[in-house]
Order: sequence, then C-alpha cells, then structure tokens
Amino acid sequence: MKEYDVIVVGSGHAGVESALALARLNNSTLLTTLNLDSISFLACNPSIGGTAKGQLVSEIDALGGEMGKVSDRNILQLRLLNTGKGVAVQSLRAQVDKHAYHSDMKSVLENQKNLDIMQCEVVEILACDGKVKGIKTAFGEEILAKAVVVCTGVYLESKIIIGEYTKDQGPNGFVNSHGLSSSLRDLGFDILRFKTGTPARVLKSSIDYSKFECQKGDDGIQTFSFLTKKQPKNVAVCYLGYTNEKTHQIIRNNLDRAPMFSGMIKGVGPRYCPSIEDKVVRFADKTRHQIFLEPEDKYGNEIYVQGFSSSMPRDVQEEMYKSVDGFENVKILRNAYAIEYDCISSLDLLPTLESKKVQNLFFAGQINGTSGYEEAAAQGLIAGINANNKLKNKEPLILRRDQAYIGVLIDDLVTKGTNEPYRMMTSRAEYRLLLRQDNADIRLTQIGRDVGLVDDYRYKKFCNKLKKIDKVYKILSQKLRASDVRNLLQQKQESTQILPQTARELLKRNSVSIFDIDQKFNLFKGIDKNILKYVETEIKYEGYLKRQEILINQMKKNEEIKLNQDFDYSKIKGLRLEARQKLNLHKPLTLGQASRISGVSPADISVLTVYLSLNKRKSKRS
Amino acid sequence: MLEDTIVAISTPYGKSGIGVVRISGKDSLKIGKKMFSPLKKDAEFAPNCLVLGRVNLGDASDLGFMVYFKEPHSYTGEDTVEFQCHGGIVVTQKIVEKAISLGAKLANPGEFSKRAFLNGKMSLDQAEGVIDTINAESESELRASSSLQKGILTKTVQELQEKLTDLMSEIEVNLDYPEHDIEYATKEKIKAETEKIYQKITDLLSTQKQGRLIKNGINIAIIGKTNVGKSSLLNALIGSEQAIVTDIEGTTRDIVIGTTEYSGIRFNFLDTAGIRKTDDKVENIGIQKAKQALNESDIVLLVIDASKDLDEQDKENLEITKNKKRIVVLNKIDLKQKVNLSGEIIKISAKQNINIEDLKKKIYDLSLDGCVTNSSIILTNTRHVEILKEAKILIEATLKTIMDNSLDLVSLDIRQVYEKLGEITGETTNEKVIDKIFSKFCLGK
Repeated sequence: MKEYDVIVVGSGHAGVESALALARLNNSTLLTTLNLDSISFLACNPSIGGTAKGQLVSEIDALGGEMGKVSDRNILQLRLLNTGKGVAVQSLRAQVDKHAYHSDMKSVLENQKNLDIMQCEVVEILACDGKVKGIKTAFGEEILAKAVVVCTGVYLESKIIIGEYTKDQGPNGFVNSHGLSSSLRDLGFDILRFKTGTPARVLKSSIDYSKFECQKGDDGIQTFSFLTKKQPKNVAVCYLGYTNEKTHQIIRNNLDRAPMFSGMIKGVGPRYCPSIEDKVVRFADKTRHQIFLEPEDKYGNEIYVQGFSSSMPRDVQEEMYKSVDGFENVKILRNAYAIEYDCISSLDLLPTLESKKVQNLFFAGQINGTSGYEEAAAQGLIAGINANNKLKNKEPLILRRDQAYIGVLIDDLVTKGTNEPYRMMTSRAEYRLLLRQDNADIRLTQIGRDVGLVDDYRYKKFCNKLKKIDKVYKILSQKLRASDVRNLLQQKQESTQILPQTARELLKRNSVSIFDIDQKFNLFKGIDKNILKYVETEIKYEGYLKRQEILINQMKKNEEIKLNQDFDYSKIKGLRLEARQKLNLHKPLTLGQASRISGVSPADISVLTVYLSLNKRKSKRS
Repeated sequence: MLEDTIVAISTPYGKSGIGVVRISGKDSLKIGKKMFSPLKKDAEFAPNCLVLGRVNLGDASDLGFMVYFKEPHSYTGEDTVEFQCHGGIVVTQKIVEKAISLGAKLANPGEFSKRAFLNGKMSLDQAEGVIDTINAESESELRASSSLQKGILTKTVQELQEKLTDLMSEIEVNLDYPEHDIEYATKEKIKAETEKIYQKITDLLSTQKQGRLIKNGINIAIIGKTNVGKSSLLNALIGSEQAIVTDIEGTTRDIVIGTTEYSGIRFNFLDTAGIRKTDDKVENIGIQKAKQALNESDIVLLVIDASKDLDEQDKENLEITKNKKRIVVLNKIDLKQKVNLSGEIIKISAKQNINIEDLKKKIYDLSLDGCVTNSSIILTNTRHVEILKEAKILIEATLKTIMDNSLDLVSLDIRQVYEKLGEITGETTNEKVIDKIFSKFCLGK
C-alpha cells in the first residue's frame, strides 16, 4: 500500500499552495485532483488581487507561497486601486491570462521535488481513533498518510443552476465530487450548503466597444511578488458599461423563472456578489448597474462580463445581455450559472486549520466557507505549513490579526464562523494601517524564513532591502540647510514659522513628499522608489501606527492567556448565560479569541480572568 | 488594564456621615498630592497616616483627611490613596471628578476587589466572592439609574452609533469597492455628519448638571420667623406629619428633614428653627443651625405669615436670603391678609393645602434654572458622563483629521468614537459596518 507523509485533496488555489509548501518542507506529498486541467483554474474572474486581496497575495508571497509569482508572470493588466485614499487601503489588482496561469502553476507542480500528482476522485477520509489515516479513491484504492489537507473548493455534491436547468456538476463543466461529503458527515462534521455564481462569457468580436468606456492599467507600480524583477507590461484593457431600464424590465418580467426567487436555490449566497436579478430586486431604485468587460486570456476571443452574474434561464440571459448598449449583437459563449456546494462549518477548525474533530486532518479554501482565489491560497499555505509543523512537532504558525490579513481571515473563520461565503475586505481588519500591500514582505519574510519556505536567495535580497531602509532613515535624520527647507516649504505653501531641521521632520508636513525632498536635496541616489515610498508612509503614519500599537499590545496579552479546551463554561456561575453557551460552543483557545466571540462581553472576560487566576492559585496550593 | 490608576467612591451610596473616595494604582499618590493641600505645610504623606487638609475641587474645597497606603499594604495591594471627607454625594462626586481630570480612570464595578484578588490580597475563600461582587456592583449600578432613564440614554447613544455606522459604511464602501459607481464620501459630507454627532454629544453632556440634581436631590431650607408655619409647610410638602406642629413659638429646635419627589427630582426639605432674638441657649443653637442650613441649601423658602404685618425680623430674613435662590412664601392666606410684597412670591395655606402643588412646581422650575431641558435624557451616571466626555474629545480630534488626512485614517478615528460609545451600549463595530455596506450599496461582480 502506498504511503505519503501528507495527502492534499484538491488542486485549486488552496490545494496547490498547500502541496507546494509541504513538498518544499521535505514531506513526501500527494496532490489529488478530479481533473489535471482544473489545476489552479480561475473559475470566475480572470483576475487576481483587489482591495485586501492584493495584500493577501503579497503576504502569501512573503511567506514563500506561489500565487504572487505566477500572477506576476501572467499579467495582462495591473492596477493600483485606491491611490487617492491612503496607503493602507491601496491594493494591486491584476487581470491575468487564466489559461497561462493554469499551465504555469501546473508546471511548477510538475517540477516540484517530493510531490506526486494524481487525477482521481477521493471518496472517503480514512480515520481511526480520532486521527486521520489516509484517503480512499473512487477506484477503491486506499492511500495512507500521516496528515490530510482537504481543499475541495466548490466541488462537493455541487449542482449548477441555469433557470429550470440543473445538473450535478462542478464549475465550468468539470465533474464534481460525490461521497466525500457523507464521509465528512460520518466523521462528525456539520455540512453547510453555500451558493455562488458567475456571469456569462461572450465573444469579443460581437461587442460594440464604442459604447463602452476603456479602462487602462497603471504603469510602473509594484508587483505582487517580492522576487519579480521586471515590472510586467500592460497588454490588455478592460471596459466599463452599464445595464439599463430595459435590462431590468426583462429581469422583472421573468422573476417567476428565477431560481433565486422560486425557492430552487437553497444555498446561502454571498451578499457582496449578488446576481443581477438580486441587484434589480433589492435595489429597485437604481436605474443602471455597472458591468466590466475583462479578457479571459491574451490571445483568445472570450470576454468575462463582471457584474452580470445570473442563474436565469438561457433564453432570458440572451435577452438580458442583448439589451445592454454595445451588446446588441452579443454572442454568449458560456452561460452564466449559479452553483451550490457543500462546505463545513469553520467553527470546527483550530486556528492552525486542523479540525477539532479529527487529528491531523486539515481544511483549506472554499470548503471552509470562504470565497475567492486569494483567501483560498492563503489558507492552503497555512494549512500546509501547520500540517508540516504538526508532523515534525514544531510550534504551529498562527498569524495574529495585527500581523497579516491571513491572520484576520483565519481568526474570523475559526472564532466567528461565517454564514455566507466569506470575502476578505479591508474593513474587516482593525489594524489595517499595519497590514499594507507595501510592507507585506517586511511583516512576513522573517516568519517565512523561520518556517523554512524562504530560500537563501530571497532572504538575502530581503536583508539587503532592510539595510537600504536603514540607510534611508539615517539620511533622513541628517540636518538640512535652513534656507533650502524654507524654500521648499514656501513652494508647497506650508508654514515656515517653525523650520524643520531634518528631512524626517520635514516629511511630517502634509504636502511634502519624500520625492519632493529627494528632488530638492538629492539625498537618495540609487535607492528604489518603493523603498522611499515605504519609509515615507511609516513616517507620515507614525502617530496612528503608535495608537494601533497600544491596542495591539493590549490584545497580545489576552492572546497569551491559554484556555483549556475541555473546560465546561456552564460551571462558571458569574458568566452570563449567553456567554456560557457561546464559550461552550466555540471553545476558544485563548482569552483573546474569547473576547472576539459575539455575545461575550468585557464583563464576561473580566469574570473569566478572575476565574483563571483563581484556578491557577488553587492548583499551586494543592 | 492593571496599569491604570482607578478611582471610585467607596462608602455606600446615599446618606452617610463621612464619605471615602479611594484611588488605587501606581499614580495614586501623585494624583492625590495634586488635589490636596495639607494644613501643615511640611506634612509628609507617610504610609498609613491621616493627614488633615483641604481637598481642592476647583471652585470649592472640603476639609478632610488624606491617607496613603503603600503597596502592597493596601486593600488592592497597589499604591492607594483615600480621601475621607464630608458625606453626601456632591462632595465625594466632585473628588472623583477631580481625580479623573488628573488622569485616574473611573473604576469598573468590582474592580477594587478584582485587583485585590489579582494582587494576591485575598484568601481563596474570600476570592470566591469576587466574581459575585463584580456582578452585584454591575447590578446595583444598573439599578442606580432608573431603567427608564437608562433605556432612553442607551437608545439615544445607539442612534448616534447608528449614524456613525452609516458614516463608516459610506467610507468603507469607498475603500473596499473603489471601482463601483457609488456616491463618493466627500470630506465635506463626512465633516458635516460628524459635526452633527458632535453637537448631539455636547447636548447630552449639558444635561449632567440636571442629572446630578436628580440623583442626589436638591436641598431646600425652610426659613422664617417662629410660628409662621414652617413645620406645617414641611408636612404639607411631603404629605406626612414629619414635624411637630404646635402654636407654641420655638417648637422646632433642631433641623427636621423631609424628602419628597417631584417629576423625578428629589427634594430634601430642611425645616429649621424659627429665627428670633432669644436667650434660650438650646433655641439659639437651633437658630445657628438654621442659618447654616440656609447657607448650604440650594434653594430657600422664606416663609412669612401673611395674616400679620411685616416686622423687623421678617425684613431681616428677607435681607439675609436675598442672595440665595429664593422663593418667598406667604403662608396663611386662608386668614385675613395684611402683607403686600412684590417679586418672586407665592401665596399658600399650608394648613388648608392651598397652592402647595404650585409651590412644588416653582421649586422644580427654579432647580432646573440654567439647565438644558430640551431633551428627555438626563445624565445621572458618572460613568456615562465620563464616556461621553471622552467620546467628545475623540470627535474633536476626528474633525481635525477629516480635512488633513486620507480616508483610511479618518475611518480609524470614527471607529474609535464608535467603540467609545459602545462602552455605554455594549455594541461593537465590525460586522455592523459590513452588514450596512451590503444592505445599503449594490455591489459585486
């Protein structure tokens, strides 16, 4: 019988990160997939990044993951979002070639040492005495492993819906998975039913682009990966257009045939990704909705119509699409559809993404109730690292909410759970000033190094960057000539009453940028502009960053107080009933996690603190 | 949490001869010294020694003791300072406020006990009770302000939070969905909305003076010659026979206190000895006390017998009360009237119960004089006042940020205000903003 250290089930964005991390950390690893052609498939938007998601990609990169590198290599268009709204919320968003992305990642996997890839359907998780033993395939074969990472995406018992037509099927016509859901149910997992959807793909040459507004990429910005040397070129454009009253009327006329409203769709869909019929019903006063035309790949003729997802019958879709200005003669190549699928409750997971119910069984990606490629990849990477650490008796990697969006993502999942597909947003991160796209490498490279996924080349390059940053700080603290400072301030219409002595002080003025200073004083020869920008942000945000630090230190203390998993909270009479129930349901690992559970008040935490030290002293005495 | 220096009144709420205010934490001695002037200039604050002096309360001061307990030899096990002063809520409340202005934080319910426990100052058996203490004190605090008042305040603060949520969701949706055609959250718009919230909090805070009156009651001295019907008036006002009434002059010698409530405000009436020239030693002490009560009261009812001519003593009484908040009460209007006075006057008959309600109304109006009464909320709870004060400071900072800084920072400031108000309502932000974003804006691919 074959045996591996770890088996990763599923080869989507979570599965590939997981498998690569495990193999790179010298575990014999098997990656299974229902279809080799679906490896890292971008089943929805042909796009990576976006607000908060761009940060996730750079965090994955800093920890030694793959998504950033593969994205950078296959970019069609790159933009920096939110440039006018503050550095903390600026994010990269890329249009990528979805086919090139898939084959690029596939070849990375194929060339990875310690990694086997196998096309097969996994129908059962083998476990014994609460510990995972391996998997069973649809061929009847049993494969053993010390740990298993389940990354099955939206494939479990999935069903696609186009109006009255439904089919047991995965996304994009791929086969789906049967049996694994019930195997998980047998192991004691709660199975939830979620829903998502995707718009139609249309033929490029059938669109009248003169009716749309062209959207170009930004030049000379950053990249997702710290290792990408050459700024990718923008080789494609997107277009913006609108639905209209006619479109909405067609939808309203056909609501009786909409599975969303007929009760046919039972899964819970994400509020942030509604179908067009949902938008028209819920926001009846809006006379138009945006749609974006995005190229699916570099050479092909297929266009993704963002904003126009639907589960209406095919003939209604046809009519709806054609009603859009510029779509009069549009040819639909693939229809929009909704997809329902099984997933688990993320409350069944530890912050390591190991399940509470079966030891050495990890979960990552959409099966945990998330949505999005980046969210999936981030979980895959962490699940892979923690499976490795568990097998090697190393400390688990749990990123805190102040360290990474990945930390926010996983903490939200395992502490609060989710009742709809979870999407990362910057507003979910209370310390988002720290969690920027521009400092992901600085936040996480050392951690990636300690884990063992940052190789010497990247680490050396990183240390070099740190040295350069130090140098910039040194230069900034040198004194400047007063007359020049006055001159610059006057140019910028800033007050000259108190003259800043150093460039660092000068930089605190709102309208003075580090590049103004560089131009005036010629201080930073040969230093990369992204490094200058980074230092500028750190200095300009200093006051706010310090404020966040105070909060973080308070949080960290609670984070260090561990809570016993077997403890019965109903025994603490001082806790309110709701708190007792919630704490018993969630079984938080730390006092910090307990404090973030909704329904647990600060007074409850206070009671808990007293109770804990009471017990500590009791045990000391006995 | 244990780094803060905390303060609270430690004597029971309500009437008591002396009041004790306790400050605990590393800055307690520093704060204590700043608000206390020992009578002996060179007094040292040796641990466990009473030092006599004046507690400085800004516009006033109170004679009392300060004691310093050096850690770990104190109730909490931390450096602790106690002020022992005159009882009654007003003085102790002011001491607490002063300490807060010097950097102390108002103690949470049960916090002294909790600290005592965490610092190892309690035996295990005693400590079992700490959790109960925390609960009991939270409970009694809840009860301290009437549930109706609290309900209205919570609702009002929730409405403010709702407005802040709207504001945040508008900012956040701009940050999280930059490509969507949603109305841009302009700085002007954010500023205007924030200013509205600022105004509302300022209005709320202006009710706290009124709140203090409601909580502690106002003291009303009943002053006048002998046998003008002061004691009858007291009995009529409170609706019971609290004071002995006879037609013998000088019946009331000590001060008699009677309490009643009117429209939610507690009136503490102090019936005093009639003022006249006498050689009776005991009666003279009573008259001295009457004059003291006159000085310390919030409002004076000067009672004059309307059936008799105004004499020298009446005129003197009018003179000594003229600088107080005063109502001149012409009693015995059921008899033939001989007095004619103008100004703030009310004509009553204590015996026949004529115009007593009108008198109460007049007292009520006079007590609220100068207080804003445009909202139905009156702040009675020190904690609520402190939270709103802090929220106000945070909004002031936010208003500055809005014009100078980018949206990511503005959002952080507004969130801070929300979290502060959450200390009253118990509501926290995160999911609410996100829920709002999705219910209010049409987003998605």
